[in-house]
Amino acid sequence: MGWFAGSGAPAVAATWVAAAVTLTVLAYLAGERRLFRMAQHLLAGLATGYLVVLVVREVLLPRLVEPLAAQPAANLLLWPAAALVIVMAAARWLPRRVVAIPVAVLVAGTAAFALGGAVAGTVLPQMAGALVAGDGGVLDLAIGAAALVVTALVVLAFLHGVPRGRLLGGANGVGRWLLVAGVGGFVGFLVVSRLALLVDRLTFLLSDWLGIA
Amino acid sequence: MTEAGFRRRIVPPVLLLAVLAAAILLQPVVAPDLGLGNPDRSRADQLRATLDRLPDRALVVVGMDADLGTYPEIRVTARAAFEDLLGRGARLAFVSFSTEGRAVSAAEQARLRDAGTPAGAVLDLGYVAGAEAGLVRAVTDVLPVGASGPQADAIEEAGGGLAAFSMALVVSGADLGARSWVEQVGTRLPDLPMVAIAPTFMLPELQPYLRTGQLSALLASVRDGAAYAEATGATDTADVAAGDRPPSALAMVIGMLIAAGTLGRLVARGVVDLARAARGART
Repeated sequence: MGWFAGSGAPAVAATWVAAAVTLTVLAYLAGERRLFRMAQHLLAGLATGYLVVLVVREVLLPRLVEPLAAQPAANLLLWPAAALVIVMAAARWLPRRVVAIPVAVLVAGTAAFALGGAVAGTVLPQMAGALVAGDGGVLDLAIGAAALVVTALVVLAFLHGVPRGRLLGGANGVGRWLLVAGVGGFVGFLVVSRLALLVDRLTFLLSDWLGIA
Repeated sequence: MTEAGFRRRIVPPVLLLAVLAAAILLQPVVAPDLGLGNPDRSRADQLRATLDRLPDRALVVVGMDADLGTYPEIRVTARAAFEDLLGRGARLAFVSFSTEGRAVSAAEQARLRDAGTPAGAVLDLGYVAGAEAGLVRAVTDVLPVGASGPQADAIEEAGGGLAAFSMALVVSGADLGARSWVEQVGTRLPDLPMVAIAPTFMLPELQPYLRTGQLSALLASVRDGAAYAEATGATDTADVAAGDRPPSALAMVIGMLIAAGTLGRLVARGVVDLARAARGART
């Protein structure tokens, strides 16, 4: 059995296609950019096609079109939804003021859920977790307090265009350096993550395509 | 071709091939026992302890929102978790809130079907649109139109939402991952245990949730994934499928060599730039 489910000619062909595309992407390491760009376009095209099929098959048809076609009077709330979809689809030809309505609904709805969730699910529980020592002892409390201080300093780093005194200015500078250190740490994790992906692709090429490891 | 052009176009591929050839020849001699391993099993044990607390024939919702680019890093771990859960008699229901996650979910369900998983053990809840709003809606209504079967009936009887499940396993990587589940679902269903599998780059983002107990368990590094797969015996069988086995030792050696080479090149370029800047400042 190859990398892809099943066996026989289709699996072998799929493995060869995957190997060819993998090599095309890895060719970037050797400075070959045209093939890499071709692979990027292929991915973008496939992703867009997949997205359209998914949205039509799993969202628009079963949740909008079919209920409206079956019981138009019973699904009154779906009519404005259908209108919003039509406006979005025809956005290119409609005046900006009309298009702004569904865009505003989308942005406001997403922001409201995301912000509310971030406050209720992350900020408050994390602050509580940092403040309450529980049975963790003094060390846990110290770590929590340090986390709060670092958070406050980094938030201060985002103060732009505000009149600052010497103390606030110093805190702002420290916060900025802490932010840079945090980004550095994150990049370190990202590198480890990407290295694991490179090893996975190499495993595929060596084991499943070439069969030498 | 100029000398500079020759250096730029020909030398790197030749060097790369030389490194590959050297690694293929030397790895079995120099490092024959190289493999993934992790003596620290605390994270893996934490996940297994959470699974131990599940009731018989538990309904487990799998929030499959992996990213196509990073899923290979956690694929072995995720598949080990599916096998572990199915082995304990749990029934899995896959749902996705991102389009990429839906693609991975469809592939994993097809793989489970091909591997002979009983039909009633896996339910496809499909793709839920609406990002965070979709997650909130799933709390009360997660069944897709036309869902049928014993598992769908059990969910329907328990209210039709995520509260029907004994546990949520969130496979992260895309924008809507474990953090979104904690923020949108965890705040509405605080009694629903949540465990997460995520790529390494998400570890700093998700670790605080483990500390506060908002996540019951988290596997977010290759090391922890390897420890869990080893603990479950997912990589022991000789006929394990290609995507289920850990990376080959040779691939790890070559990957490390490429990474070291790239890093060395970047450092060398940085040193040269610094030297040039210093020379410029003097003149």
